[in-house]
Amino acid sequence: MNVALGRAGVTLGLVAAILGVITVGYGLIRRRPDLIRLSRAYAVLVFVGGILAFIAMERALITRDFTVQFVANNGSSKTPALYNFATLWSALEGSIILWSAILGGYLVAVVFKFRKRLADPLVGWALLTMLVVAAFFFFLMAGPANPFKNFSPPVGFDGPGPNPLLQNHPLMAFHPPMLYLGYVGFTVPFAFAIAALATGRVGEGWLLATRRWTLIAWGFLTAGIILGSWWSYEVLGWGGYWAWDPVENASFMPWLTGTAYLHSVMVQERRGMLRVWNISLLCATFALTILGTFITRSGVLESVHAFTESSIGPSLIAFFALIVFVTVGLIGWRGDRLRSPGRIDSPLSREGAFLANNVLFGAFAFVILLGTVFPLVVEAINNDRISVGVPYFNRMSMPIGMALLFLMAVAPVLPWRKASAELLRHRLIWPAWIGAGSMVFAVAVGARGLAPVIAFGLGGFAAGSAGRQLVLAARRQGWRGLVGRANGGMVVHLGVVMIAVAFAASSSYVRQAEFTLRPGDIAEFAGHTLLYEGQNIKEESAKTLNQALVRIDGTGPWAPSLNKFANGQTTIGTPSVRSTFTDDVALSVIDIRGGDDPSVTIRVTVQPLIIWLWIGGAVMAFGTLLAVFPGKRRNPIDAVSSPLAGTAPPRPEPESDRTVANA
Amino acid sequence: MTAASVKPSAFSSGSPLRRIGPWLLLGVVIVATLSLAVFGTRDAPTIQDRVSSISRTVKCPVCSGESVAESNAPASQEIRRDIAVRVQEGQTDDEIRSYYVGRYGEAILLTPSASGINALVWILPVVALAVALAGLVIVFRRWSNELAETASPEDRRLVEAALRGDETGSSELADPDDGHGEGDSR
Repeated sequence: MNVALGRAGVTLGLVAAILGVITVGYGLIRRRPDLIRLSRAYAVLVFVGGILAFIAMERALITRDFTVQFVANNGSSKTPALYNFATLWSALEGSIILWSAILGGYLVAVVFKFRKRLADPLVGWALLTMLVVAAFFFFLMAGPANPFKNFSPPVGFDGPGPNPLLQNHPLMAFHPPMLYLGYVGFTVPFAFAIAALATGRVGEGWLLATRRWTLIAWGFLTAGIILGSWWSYEVLGWGGYWAWDPVENASFMPWLTGTAYLHSVMVQERRGMLRVWNISLLCATFALTILGTFITRSGVLESVHAFTESSIGPSLIAFFALIVFVTVGLIGWRGDRLRSPGRIDSPLSREGAFLANNVLFGAFAFVILLGTVFPLVVEAINNDRISVGVPYFNRMSMPIGMALLFLMAVAPVLPWRKASAELLRHRLIWPAWIGAGSMVFAVAVGARGLAPVIAFGLGGFAAGSAGRQLVLAARRQGWRGLVGRANGGMVVHLGVVMIAVAFAASSSYVRQAEFTLRPGDIAEFAGHTLLYEGQNIKEESAKTLNQALVRIDGTGPWAPSLNKFANGQTTIGTPSVRSTFTDDVALSVIDIRGGDDPSVTIRVTVQPLIIWLWIGGAVMAFGTLLAVFPGKRRNPIDAVSSPLAGTAPPRPEPESDRTVANA
Repeated sequence: MTAASVKPSAFSSGSPLRRIGPWLLLGVVIVATLSLAVFGTRDAPTIQDRVSSISRTVKCPVCSGESVAESNAPASQEIRRDIAVRVQEGQTDDEIRSYYVGRYGEAILLTPSASGINALVWILPVVALAVALAGLVIVFRRWSNELAETASPEDRRLVEAALRGDETGSSELADPDDGHGEGDSR
């Protein structure tokens, strides 16, 4: 029943997507608006197909229908309800279902949002592109990653349940959907970029139409990445939150190019420049999400997060190649129209700063891509095995991160066109003092070492600059000053500063030690007192927890544990973390002995400011929301600075309302 | 960009010293703070600290991508103990790391060496950044040269034609209502 329902959904989605591509494509070539408008029906059918597959799989999981092979492989009657629901995205085939369902949702959202412009070729080509992407993912479900295979379970069969690590923390229910909403969300601006190239309307219309879509996708991706790092901090138990692991890098690369795009797009909106560059960034972002899926799902790279391997590698790499080929081909074909009319007057200007931002973000993404695939390249060339890990990425990202912080401090105060030294002196003095003040404060409370203290200073500088903008905006317009892209963006900057400072502090001043304690023993470490009280055994439906009860500075008891799962032979640890606003003490059990020996070996990791990573993430999400809501409306393609005398006549601004209506 | 090009404005306050005074003071504060941060007293790293900093650079031989410091695998616990012994014996960080390279091969280190083909992973990002910056400089050069350029005779002819309202001249022009290149299908 569930297999049939799921297969019906997959077939419906696949057929609707393919027919949609053919119909809309034919309509676009023959200029038949009646056919182009049919995209609405196909989009809805694709969505229904995705939802059917999703419901069928959830139903199979909830009813423990082991005749579905995916459920037999990943489900278990002992898995608690929340993790059972999340089992769908704990393995490859199910995560493709989630991907397709979300893509269907975005398709319907686009059709609804642009319902009055469905016959517009720009929207038509965008929907065509999205339908092609949908066809690819439904093809994956129909063929290489079929989630609805039959299985005949023997009597009394029970599945193994999802990977124990994936049923150890409730964040597992939220982190992957968020990440996918981000990944898939970038399909929308990508589709419009392709549509702009296909129709030749490479001006600012499509940018404005997709501006909010891009922001929303970026917001989800940001939230997904931060929730993921929170999950690994709370679950993996090694005291860290970011390991520069291939899976993490795969999500971080599109984030970097997407962030670069969000900034450089403003140059195009204001000045009509950087057209090729923006389209390339957007296509790179989308291509990197597919490449990331390939890297993490095909088993070419080992990773602690790659919970599945499968045979979809060739399909994904082929699709990636198709995206790159089509994009490069289209850009080459439209080269004449893409030539920018303007130029940047001075490097010391808002647009100059955005260019520098793009160079840094591009270099950052390049470093991460290089470090991630370098072991593969070396092995292919001379068969050597090497590793590129945390120390490499930390060392490379530190100077880039600092340069970005500096830019975050200077760029917001720069005017468009050209800045004077006088203006910078005036606008930057208070942010600079805030930066110096944070350095003094950091050194006064005991921070040592050049790099972290500089990072704190730059963080303060950037925060001061963002704060200055927000204060000025709030003074001018009250609370409404905080809404809108520019000032919502400044709130996002504040969140980024929190994360950067927390990252610098925690990675510079981490202290780690192991202690073997008997009940009643006290250990002193990094200014904290640990008292081991004894063991405790706790039975839950899916697992048995072997806890070590520890008091940290008299609080607690905190109970890190080793968990034995009912169905697996594996034992995994769950750390216990005491967070304060100044530092985190994370405990994890390395060894807990049974029987006569009551002693326990625990690892203690003390890191400052960890909690600010999560607070910073929340601030970033909040800032994104502020940026999405419409602020004080200014027609985005109005000229803001008067053209230089004698170079260009003032242009009429025709029909701009229509463009903005969909922004 | 240069101070010379600045017109006096509402916020410039007279003498150069008063203008740059706060920045000089700021520079002094920053230099003083940084030198304290670098040369100030700090706790000497304990043996435990050295063990954890070395073990963060050594890969767990049996796991995927984790360092010895992170992993709980028995092999990693063994290596951590071994590192502690070697630190106590007075070996330097590099001696300890090269011992493991001799035993497990280059892949045991999470930081690739800067020799042979491995050096590329360090050099390429620097080269890429340099090329990007050089590209920016060239583009800005070209832009600032264009600034000096005057309209070509062809441009003048087109402008004159447009001013006369000459249909033949204006047909070659881009659509004046289409400042943002939206094209005719808009």
